[in-house]
Amino acid sequence: MRHSHYTGALDGIRVLDISGGIAAGYCGKLFADHGADVLLVEPPEGFETRRVPPIIPGVKPPEASGMHAYLSTNKRSVVCDDSARLRELARGASLVIDGCATDERPLPLKELAQVAPNAALLSITWFGQDGPYRDFTGSDGVCMALASQIDWLGNAGEAPVIPGGYHAQIVAGQTAFIGAMGQVLAREIGNASGPAHIEVSVFEAGVCFTEIEAVRVHCGLPMRTRSGVNRFRTTYPLGIYPCRDGWLGVTVLTPSQWYGFCRLVRLKRLAGIARYRSSEARYQDADTLDPVIAEAVSGMSAKELVMRGQEMKVPLSLVPTMEELFSVDQYVSRRVFADVTHPDLGSFPLPVTPFRLRGSPAIPGGQVARLGEDTESVLEMAGAAG
Amino acid sequence: MRVRGPLRGCRIVDLSMGWAGPLATRHLADMGAEVVKVESCVHFDWFRGWEATRSWIDDCGHEKNPPFNCMNRNKLDVTLDLGTDRGRDLLLRLVSISDAVVENFAASVLPKLKLGYEVFRQAKQDIVMVSMPGFGSTGPWRHYRAYGSTTEQAAGLPHLTGHPDWPPMMVHIALGDAVAGLNGASALLVALRHLKRTGEGQFVDLSHSECLLPLGVHGIAEQSMTGTAPPRMGNRSRHHAPHGAYPCRAGRWVVIQILNEEQWNGLKGVVGEPIAGFGALTDRLARQDDLDAVVSGWTSERRAEAAMAELQAAGVPAGSVSRSNELWRDPHLKARAFWKLVDREHTGELPHASAAYRIDGEPMRIDWPSPTLGQHNCEVLGGILGLDDAEIDELEREGVIGTRPSVPEENAK
Repeated sequence: MRHSHYTGALDGIRVLDISGGIAAGYCGKLFADHGADVLLVEPPEGFETRRVPPIIPGVKPPEASGMHAYLSTNKRSVVCDDSARLRELARGASLVIDGCATDERPLPLKELAQVAPNAALLSITWFGQDGPYRDFTGSDGVCMALASQIDWLGNAGEAPVIPGGYHAQIVAGQTAFIGAMGQVLAREIGNASGPAHIEVSVFEAGVCFTEIEAVRVHCGLPMRTRSGVNRFRTTYPLGIYPCRDGWLGVTVLTPSQWYGFCRLVRLKRLAGIARYRSSEARYQDADTLDPVIAEAVSGMSAKELVMRGQEMKVPLSLVPTMEELFSVDQYVSRRVFADVTHPDLGSFPLPVTPFRLRGSPAIPGGQVARLGEDTESVLEMAGAAG
Repeated sequence: MRVRGPLRGCRIVDLSMGWAGPLATRHLADMGAEVVKVESCVHFDWFRGWEATRSWIDDCGHEKNPPFNCMNRNKLDVTLDLGTDRGRDLLLRLVSISDAVVENFAASVLPKLKLGYEVFRQAKQDIVMVSMPGFGSTGPWRHYRAYGSTTEQAAGLPHLTGHPDWPPMMVHIALGDAVAGLNGASALLVALRHLKRTGEGQFVDLSHSECLLPLGVHGIAEQSMTGTAPPRMGNRSRHHAPHGAYPCRAGRWVVIQILNEEQWNGLKGVVGEPIAGFGALTDRLARQDDLDAVVSGWTSERRAEAAMAELQAAGVPAGSVSRSNELWRDPHLKARAFWKLVDREHTGELPHASAAYRIDGEPMRIDWPSPTLGQHNCEVLGGILGLDDAEIDELEREGVIGTRPSVPEENAK
């Protein structure tokens, strides 16, 4: 549901999402939370995202997905499977998002241009509009595997580890937002006109995490390989250790951070070993050092270590569980979680848009529309009712 | 100046270093904004290297580090010693004719230089400033030091990956940097849109750790809405099976994630008899050990690429686990001209990953490689700020500008 009184930085932009995927949903969410009018143009059974876990027990489909609720704040939902009506809805749009890798689109660029001459069409797909993988079926794990994101995750000789959740699609949605926003802005400032087809592939978006590594190896530097949980050559210690009150995240790279860390966790004898000035040397001895560090911090307080370590300029952090996240001082202070409200799911806190525009802030949290909740009003507005 | 791309005419002063900030501005530079990267001979981008010694500088080590060379293409580079009055004044003159400033310094750095949003605003009333510290500009952690790993830890994401008997597991050496970079680019575009539409600049506060929360939102939402976090299950899923990484010949792996019954039927068609005894999703979820063993039996007789091709032909989501030395030879990326070789002084040709969006079938332009230190001093100071040659020579004599790093005091001892 769109916020009725809000004018944000993207006010006046209309986006139609006819894709229904997670990446498109996140891209559209960034538009909607900043004040754009985003219409979810859904088939009668609703978008695919409405069936994506977490599914909340006791709530009837298609309204039970927590993921869909997060992706759909401040948007309107219209049920429409009629191509003539779809064209009417697109009148005056700045952007239409589809998920097609074929020429058989619900709204081809030529037809879109007839009703919205300056609109861009954004196609977010797993592998893009051409190339040998174009017709491949994707998933988060498949795209991350091909983008070389998981080869270095896990223990040597064991299966590589696939990160949980929807990393690849969220990152693709963010990337698509950049590409689309650039085209929308270019049209508004007069640097571009006419239709444009923007395409984003989830696979290629993931390369932003691995391009440096690929170029390093291309330059003859050693390749990082799977060598243990939380083991990334050649930063050491880089890990997560249990303390008496929670998990401690450690990243120690420079000599001064190493000395500070040793002092902090009362391992001064390690600080006295000259070769450990080098992170590479510490990394080589990680199997020996890890149990020593783990034992040293096990009886200490992670909260105190983080506070005192940061005073010494050692980059330590808490590693909050999902439950603890909501009460981390920093996040409470910055109101990082705000209520999202859905007519069937109720109200629950979820993360707000990560970047804060002080002069034109995004909507914190927001309302989620039921499937088709806005059909009548939107079609009427578009002059397409009946 | 260099007129190119959809954002031509937008000028961004880039004070950022490392990965996140430079990735944010790289997106804008790829779209044709004029990004002026400001370094100094003393405080150069630490992605050029952070253990500068005389011999390293003599060998031009600062021009050879791949991370720097990946992140700064399509930008101009000027060196200004911001610790001097003249360097600072020149920065403010540059700001006065720019649309935005981006910075990712530790919280104490800009105030020490007598710089900050209010100072930039005096130079240009409607300036946009995107500030990108690890934990944002407010709150009790605002001064905390962070790497891209620290912010991944702080976002709680490691609790969503790996096996239940492992410690919480990170998925990258610096996950937070790339994600914050994407958010920085997004923030710049939104703020520039507001600026162009209303004439109002503003301060943008971006926290790397908050940028990571959407990557874990499935867990956050489950916790928030049901009171329980999702369990860690290694590569398995509570909702889908088979779902994991399976061994192939020569020590390689293929990821297979069956997300619906159509894909399951595709898999059955390819694997045949060995999995014929597994039924609907509930049955598969109940017998994951057996199912994984059978799927592994099939994959282990094949090369990863062959397994991927065979499965994909049947509509099964499957991907071979690529190594980083293979990524730039990937046939799909090659066919789509995703990598572009760009020649650069000191390094020769280097591959550049294009932006992951393309317009009308064309990748975004990569017009020139990452700049050498101070490469565009004359172009920026003369061409943009209008200084004459004598003034530029004087700045060089005074050490305000230059093209060679200084050895940090602690390394010179």
